[in-house]
Amino acid sequence: MKNKILQLSLVLCFFSATSTVRSASPPPKYQFIGIAPQDERYYKSSEVIKCKDGSKKFSKAQLNDDFCDCPDGTDEPGTSACPNGKFYCQNAGHVPQQLFSSRVNDGICDCCDGSDEYDGKVKCPNTCWEAGKVFRDKLKRKIATYQEGVSIRKQEVEQAKLAMAKDEAELSKLQHEEKILKGLVQQLKERKEQIDKAEEKERLRKEKEEKEKKEAENEAKQERSEAVEKADGEDELTESKYDDKIGLLQDSTSDQDVVEDQDRLAAEDEPSDTFQYEDSMVHHAEQHTAKETVESAAISDAELDVGSKATSDDFMDSGKDASENTEALSREELGRLVASRWTGENTGKETGDSDAEKNNNHEDHEEMTKGTHDEEYDGYASETDDDHQRYDDDSVEDEADEDFVEEHHDDSDSPYKPESDTELDLSDMTTPSNPSWLEKIQQTVWNMLQAVNLFQTPVNQSEAAVVRKEYDESSTKLSKIQARISTLTRKLKQDFGPDREFYSFYDQCFESKQNKYVYKVCPYKQASQVEGHSTTRLGQWDKFEDSYKVMIFANGDRCWNGPDRSLKVKLRCGLKNEVTDVDEPSRCEYIALLSTPVLCLEGKLKELEHKLDLMNMEQPRNHDEL
Amino acid sequence: MKIQMRNLTLLLFVLLSSQLTSVFSWKKDEFRNCNQTPFCKRARNRNPGFCTLEAHDVSISAGELTAKLSPKKSHQDNPDQQDEDQVKPLILSLSVFQDGIVRLKIDEDPKLDPPKKRFEVPEVILPEFLNKKIWLQRHSTETIGGDNSPSSIVYVADGYEAVLRHDPFEVYVREKGGNRVVSLNSHGLFDFEQLRVKKEGDDWEERFKGHTDTRPYGPQSISFDVSFYGSDFVYGIPEHASSLALKPTKGPGVEESEPYRLFNLDVFEYIHDSPFGLYGSIPFMISHGKYRGTSGFFWLNAAEMQIDVLGSGWNADSGISLPSSQSRIDTLWMSEAGIVDAFFFVGPKPKDVVRQYTTVTGTPAMPQLFAAGYHQCRWNYRDEEDVENVDSKFDEHDIPYDVLWLDIEHTDGKKYFTWDPVLFPHPEEMQRKLAAKGRHMVTIVDPHIKRDESFHLHKEATQKGYYVKDASGNDYDGWCWPGSSSYPDMLNEEIRSWWADKFSFGNYVGSTPSLYIWNDMNEPSVFNGPEVTMPRDALHEGGVEHRELHNAYGYYFHMASTEGLLKRGDGKDRPFVLSRALFAGSQRHGAIWTGDNTADWDHLRVSVPMILTLGLTGISFAGADVGGFFGNPEPGLWVRWYQLGAFYPFFRGHAHQDTKRREPWLFGERNTELVRDAIHMRYMLLPYFYTLFREANVSGVPVIRPLWMEFPSDEATFSNDEAFMVGSSLLVQGVYTERAKHVSVYLPGKESWYDLRTGEVFKGGKTHKLEVSEESVPAFQRAGTIIPRKDRFRRSSTQMTNDPYTLVIALNSTQEAEGELYVDDGKSFEFAKGAYIHRRFTFSDGLLTSISIPPTSPGKARFSSECIIERIILIGYSVKPKTALIEPSNQKVEIELGPLLVKPRGGSAVTTVRKPNIPIAGDWTIKIL
Repeated sequence: MKNKILQLSLVLCFFSATSTVRSASPPPKYQFIGIAPQDERYYKSSEVIKCKDGSKKFSKAQLNDDFCDCPDGTDEPGTSACPNGKFYCQNAGHVPQQLFSSRVNDGICDCCDGSDEYDGKVKCPNTCWEAGKVFRDKLKRKIATYQEGVSIRKQEVEQAKLAMAKDEAELSKLQHEEKILKGLVQQLKERKEQIDKAEEKERLRKEKEEKEKKEAENEAKQERSEAVEKADGEDELTESKYDDKIGLLQDSTSDQDVVEDQDRLAAEDEPSDTFQYEDSMVHHAEQHTAKETVESAAISDAELDVGSKATSDDFMDSGKDASENTEALSREELGRLVASRWTGENTGKETGDSDAEKNNNHEDHEEMTKGTHDEEYDGYASETDDDHQRYDDDSVEDEADEDFVEEHHDDSDSPYKPESDTELDLSDMTTPSNPSWLEKIQQTVWNMLQAVNLFQTPVNQSEAAVVRKEYDESSTKLSKIQARISTLTRKLKQDFGPDREFYSFYDQCFESKQNKYVYKVCPYKQASQVEGHSTTRLGQWDKFEDSYKVMIFANGDRCWNGPDRSLKVKLRCGLKNEVTDVDEPSRCEYIALLSTPVLCLEGKLKELEHKLDLMNMEQPRNHDEL
Repeated sequence: MKIQMRNLTLLLFVLLSSQLTSVFSWKKDEFRNCNQTPFCKRARNRNPGFCTLEAHDVSISAGELTAKLSPKKSHQDNPDQQDEDQVKPLILSLSVFQDGIVRLKIDEDPKLDPPKKRFEVPEVILPEFLNKKIWLQRHSTETIGGDNSPSSIVYVADGYEAVLRHDPFEVYVREKGGNRVVSLNSHGLFDFEQLRVKKEGDDWEERFKGHTDTRPYGPQSISFDVSFYGSDFVYGIPEHASSLALKPTKGPGVEESEPYRLFNLDVFEYIHDSPFGLYGSIPFMISHGKYRGTSGFFWLNAAEMQIDVLGSGWNADSGISLPSSQSRIDTLWMSEAGIVDAFFFVGPKPKDVVRQYTTVTGTPAMPQLFAAGYHQCRWNYRDEEDVENVDSKFDEHDIPYDVLWLDIEHTDGKKYFTWDPVLFPHPEEMQRKLAAKGRHMVTIVDPHIKRDESFHLHKEATQKGYYVKDASGNDYDGWCWPGSSSYPDMLNEEIRSWWADKFSFGNYVGSTPSLYIWNDMNEPSVFNGPEVTMPRDALHEGGVEHRELHNAYGYYFHMASTEGLLKRGDGKDRPFVLSRALFAGSQRHGAIWTGDNTADWDHLRVSVPMILTLGLTGISFAGADVGGFFGNPEPGLWVRWYQLGAFYPFFRGHAHQDTKRREPWLFGERNTELVRDAIHMRYMLLPYFYTLFREANVSGVPVIRPLWMEFPSDEATFSNDEAFMVGSSLLVQGVYTERAKHVSVYLPGKESWYDLRTGEVFKGGKTHKLEVSEESVPAFQRAGTIIPRKDRFRRSSTQMTNDPYTLVIALNSTQEAEGELYVDDGKSFEFAKGAYIHRRFTFSDGLLTSISIPPTSPGKARFSSECIIERIILIGYSVKPKTALIEPSNQKVEIELGPLLVKPRGGSAVTTVRKPNIPIAGDWTIKIL
């Protein structure tokens, strides 16, 4: 009875509430709207329905009655009454969709079948067939790419296995050789030392003789050595003069050569690295000067007066003072300087700027501890590569767009081998057709060692030379082998993925040209941005993330007023290795896309095929009507 | 070679400083303090009794009390006043306006041939205000106390009189025949430096940081003391990053004595507690005291001003004693130029003073509904793809927002009204895509115009002579974002009109009707100017020196831009223009934000007194950058900022270009959820906010208010600026520390308060130490109020138009409550003709009644709405009802227990009238049975 009254009042309400009767009043036409097929039994089986979160029950009359009874939205799948509700649209001809209930009757067509807008305020045409066709075509192309990609990937995995096995074999062979060679070198070294000793003895003997002979010349010798000492003293003198000069600068208004002064201070700032630092500073400064167009006449005395500051901290201060001593700047310089506070752009020329950064950051770089990358916000673009539930219409298409790469026929960005530091010339020792080079050496050395008569004095010169030569050659070989071993060890230590599928990436770099920049991505090594002759490091190889779908390069050159540069490379399935879409969504945090067959996974292909099958099965029965 | 070396040195400095990010913080040295500002230093060093002026020739003329002010004969050889220019009599006029407003003007006598007319700030006082003048017929005289000479007295309003004391000269307002309210020159600190003609040997130049001010008319400052009686605290005079209750700046125990400065400046990384001047200036001070109530003083003057709040005992050894008063706060006002054009407001309630002040300068403009929603900004959304991405991410995360903003980088080389052809090749399409979701876009338009011959705006402005001139009469050339720039002379009406035309769809290529405007850098900011602004001797229309109007430059610019949008929409579309610089009256032109704040807790904290102060001084539609402009907020701070910012009248997230991206979904799932909740709270309360915007539009009473505005006799509220009222029904307390577990909240008044989320009840009149969760900042509904909500979340406010309402009724101790709802079309000016719905809901004796509040304007336009009320919630209702009866339709509806908030864990179950579905537009009653 109560129910009846309620129903009645409900209907009355509707009449009283709206001046015109809405064509879209809920029951019965819309009572089951927005319900997913798998839930239909849940809603239709009984008169009293439970909220899915178990918090409450509601009557069938309360289903889609435009009032939220279940906090989780169970009772309002087809209206906007519950903030947590989900609206299902069938989208026959396309893929079904679940919308946030906030989209229901909001005047915007979200479902391609238009079912989310049923209150009559807007008319939404059914676009599912057209959209679905586009989608299916995309999906088909995507599947085609995946199919091809999967087989390329298979080949690559095989190749990677071989390459890896080869590298491993080489490594173990080299390690074996190293062991033997080490022994030989040791033996040669001992023999060489024996020879050295014998020769030394001989030399001392001869010297003694000569000494006696030349005693008469002693006085002259003495004079010469005095002269040398004197020269040293003069050097000292020069230095103290230099100090004086600094003193002078300090309290005078001298316009003298302050570069040295600056350099000296810079040197004090970085005692370990003095020379390099000086050189590069001067170098860049000169470069700067050459390009500088800014009026230079206005640098005040105060700015020059930095000589008195000794400690590095003080030096920083003085730098600051100078930049703040705005009176001396030209109007334009002042404008640029003040603007730079907000923009972070240097007031000098761009080149000077970026070079300077590199310079300043060189030292810092070493101090940077790893793990500054802790805070990994999945910044800008969110995950695009999975099939988690999505509620937005465009997501379906997005997915098609983002998940794979349709073939690009642009060959400009082809990968290439890096100028590798590992390419040592080991050909002489690694020629496989001639495996006995080691034996040969062994033999030679043995023969030689046998031949040299240690007890013969004076030592046979030619024999000694042979030993020395052999020693030098062998140690060179040894160090080459060791270098190669460490290269290989370093390589094999890397994480190449579960199938070693990234093995070939180790010796490759990928380039992408965008506007004035060329981006270079060298997996397992580093990534950089090249503009003309200036290179900015975007990051050192860090790791894979997100189950090998993302490569992270961290701790690149520091940004002015920002973080260290970093690059996140998102991987996706494509037929070629190709870097695209380099972007800097947040200051100095770069992202890029790398399409590669390595990401064309068989499982994913199956999923896609399944999806297409489903779509084909769900062809709209009423398609003929369209 | 030498040059090369110098360059090198410069480079080295730049290199070294570039690695020190921390060196760039507030540049105190770049800005003048009082001691470096001659007029301020002079005024501050004067002793009480300095003034020797007396009023004579007192008479009534043209409905005003007029008099002349001259130094007394015996003081004429005062060494300070040797110059004979300085002894010319000044002209005083005192006029009275309806509602207890007294205006005092003092200027040089134009008949005595001053070198030029001193500047009076035009376009600030409403023309309507002048019609409210009470035409004085006569004045009475009276000899008060032990005075030797009489005082002239005029009637002001019921119970108030204005008094001109002749000797010593003093002006005050008093309660009839008794206690003083506000007075001027009671301490004899009045001084008025008259313009002079430069003679041989006069050196009036002032130098600061390598800039020279020629000061062609010599010193021309004005200063005087103002006293507020029965005052516990004074407030107002924005803009400062400082406490709500103004602190003494001079007097015993005041260290680092520096007055509050009013000088519009672009301060890089301003600090959170300082009397130094920021982007805007409103020379309006409010006094409040428990016994006497509230009064106000406004000095309409756009030159640099410095204001001291004098701590008690500041004049201990002056020997001057004022009539005894329970409590009095003395202040010293100093301005570099202009005239005395001062207004006294008698109150006596806080809302009276605000109303009186906005009678003079105008009430806040009514914003469009979308502007009350959430705004998403960043320096910069880089290109169309970025815009599209950000927009779609909001939808993906089901977070509503109304406006996406583009900062300076969207332009073609910082030429405003243009688009970067590479990054934004299709601006119209981009805006249309947003508009299809009911969203709007805002682009930035700054006053500096790039001096680029190929830029039509520059060419035109140059040809027409529309730029501000430098001291020698050439177009002033300053440095700002585009490099070399010039600035249109916005004082000039013709130039403003020219500027306004630039906003037409035809002129602003790529703009669409859903595009609105943001004015930044309009202090004006000049990177290579003195104190990062324009030289004081720059020249405006009619030979007005920049020093005279500096603080109003941004105001005129804001005005012209708003005028532009008004013209663009044919007067039918309410403009939205956000401005950083502000002056008295800016509330008429649009919204204000507190400029470039920093992502730290102190700045979160100070945002509240800053916005409250703006509200008290007329500017209701104000906000601070949520998240903090500079720096990267910790997630905890970032979330707290959203939770508080959701209650700012202007709610915008913004960030500097060097910061990490921080759109609402970038701090992990949990934080996304928290911020979504905060933004949802704002949208849920949008009907309430919009009603408050209308209240401000009608009465000047701000949207968010200090507690004492609602509880004027509760002393515990007077200096509270951690919490604030949203309207009269909501109290919000910020959380200002990291990982806070507890927070103390003072809940004023006798009635109870209900937690906005849980419905939990708290006693009024005491401080509660509350546990706080990360989920929200404490917020309470006051018992006795009714708040309208909309509980359905949409993509933006646009889609909420037809959504049903919820009424939340919080009953007081007598089981009563009341509230209001204002609705209009959210866009046009039809409301001004009466096209709106304004309902008052009252609940008493178990009966909820909805009646129409009679339209304030007599227009015939009508607004209709099909919206219904879907839910009525009763909190604190003592009985457990089962049904309700709606009249006149005579329907019964069910009452059940429902959640306070419609969401999982939506708070305790509260009495809910389920689906009454009554129209908001109609008259009805609901009887709870």
